[in-house]
Amino acid sequence: MSSPLLDVWEAAAASPYRPSIGKGSQFTVGFVLLLLSLFLAGIFGLNRSFANLSVLGIPASLAFGFGAVYMICAVGVYV
Amino acid sequence: MRSFPLFSSCLTALSTLVSAELNLSQPLLSKQVLPATFKPPQVFKNANLVRTTNLDKSYPRETINVIIENVDSKPQSEYYLPFESGLISRVGGFEVKDKKAPEKGIFKVEVVEYDTESPTEFYLIHLPTPLKPKEQQTISISYSVLSALSPVPAQIEQSSKQYLQYTFSAYTPSAYVTEKQKTKIKFPNSDVPDYTSLPADLNADKKPDPQKQGSTFTYGPYNNIPAGAEELVSVRYEFTKPVTHASLLERDIEVSHWGGNLATEERYWLSNLGASLKNHFSRVEWQKTSYMNPPTSALKALPLPLHPGALNPYFTDDIGNVSTSRFRPGVREAHLELRPRYPVFGGWKYSFRVGWDADLSSYLRRLSTGESYVLKVPFLEGPRMPEGISYARVHVRVVLPEGAMNVKFSTTVPVVDTAITLHKTFMDTLGRTTLSLSAINLVDDFRERELVVTYDYPWTAGFRKPVVITLGMFAVFAVVWVVGSLDMSIGKKKTA
Repeated sequence: MSSPLLDVWEAAAASPYRPSIGKGSQFTVGFVLLLLSLFLAGIFGLNRSFANLSVLGIPASLAFGFGAVYMICAVGVYV
Repeated sequence: MRSFPLFSSCLTALSTLVSAELNLSQPLLSKQVLPATFKPPQVFKNANLVRTTNLDKSYPRETINVIIENVDSKPQSEYYLPFESGLISRVGGFEVKDKKAPEKGIFKVEVVEYDTESPTEFYLIHLPTPLKPKEQQTISISYSVLSALSPVPAQIEQSSKQYLQYTFSAYTPSAYVTEKQKTKIKFPNSDVPDYTSLPADLNADKKPDPQKQGSTFTYGPYNNIPAGAEELVSVRYEFTKPVTHASLLERDIEVSHWGGNLATEERYWLSNLGASLKNHFSRVEWQKTSYMNPPTSALKALPLPLHPGALNPYFTDDIGNVSTSRFRPGVREAHLELRPRYPVFGGWKYSFRVGWDADLSSYLRRLSTGESYVLKVPFLEGPRMPEGISYARVHVRVVLPEGAMNVKFSTTVPVVDTAITLHKTFMDTLGRTTLSLSAINLVDDFRERELVVTYDYPWTAGFRKPVVITLGMFAVFAVVWVVGSLDMSIGKKKTA
């Protein structure tokens, strides 16, 4: 018994999907990124200038964006 | 005049009632309604037919092995099998194979109704290669009948034996003349107190009918039975096991690329269709006998074998977490044993949800074309018990990542309805692409049937979640900067 999609599955046997960050390190990565974002936001709070908005705000936002995704996965809500 | 609104509201209430009833009672099958003049053309005959009815489990499983012969002058490929309309809506897992070449796969079958007034409907079996005139082919037809067993007596003591009754036709219903046939019934044990005896002159061998051999009874052989003939017989046998039936099973399979996780959740609405209790439930008697572990008609436990690598199982019902479960992760199988809050006796119900996680790498593969993926998951898992379990309706939802496109699926389970919708949950902006599949009248034999799904998932769609949160956070920074740089001081600005 074979169907075309089952053959597709068999053909892809060599490439199982692995996420770039494994389940074991999601919490660490998420926590570090969120902490980094908190620090950067704190420094931005001390000196709110337009230059700092791009120098600190963009990395802080990126760290928060990815950190939030990993942290919510780490606590068991797999998004 | 005042009575008119009352009348119309009554009518509305009645119409909703009627439509609700229709939704539940109508078989969710795709049909081809042929003209009223239609009758199965008599192009075949059944040269030899052996039907085996297996009553080991809590639902009858029928296997019909039949040698069909084309008696027409042209090649024929459409073979009809009649059922009464009340019965056809309870027939599940209808599959036809070539007995001599089962590796060729399952034949295409469909339900046809030629006359809505007629009590008979047909399964139409399409033979993959038309049968030439005078040629023979052996086909194997198998199906299960749900809700076909009735407890007799309908009420029993808490620790007494349970007996079930099954009524069927000793002549296998057929749309064609059957030259030679017999029906074998396999009981779970030899305790069969009542059964219908047929006169010996119906039997081709002029022997008493049925013939008994231990726990197997044989009705027949019968010669030259005309098309559509029925001879109802009834058997009553001991079955002191729960008759577990799920009126609905909802199964969600959620794929998370970011988390590398496959989350499965199943929601069951179970009932025991066995004999109900004559008296009140006695906890003392239950506790006294439970140590001895005698056979009982109550559902005590649901062993749920999961695939190896299953993690974080949970088992909750309407009240909350049910702590009476055991989980044993293993190399070959992760075994989850669920014990309901109370023993589920005949007529009692229990609904609950159970879920677990698994690593995505053993279920999802990336195709060499790049941004396409293939997912292989079991269509049905559920409890594995010797007495079996039947499902009236099964809804399977495969929740794919947000932005997955071009979804295709294949499964050998007969599916009655499919839909691709959006499911909105945590951190979603558009909603996740969801493949919904519905099946009816399934049994636990379908446990290991696979569902293969392929989909395209561009990397840009994968970054939607972090990018949305990043933009939101940056907006907060920008607002802080704008608000912080506003001059809110009172009075004139001092200029140096």
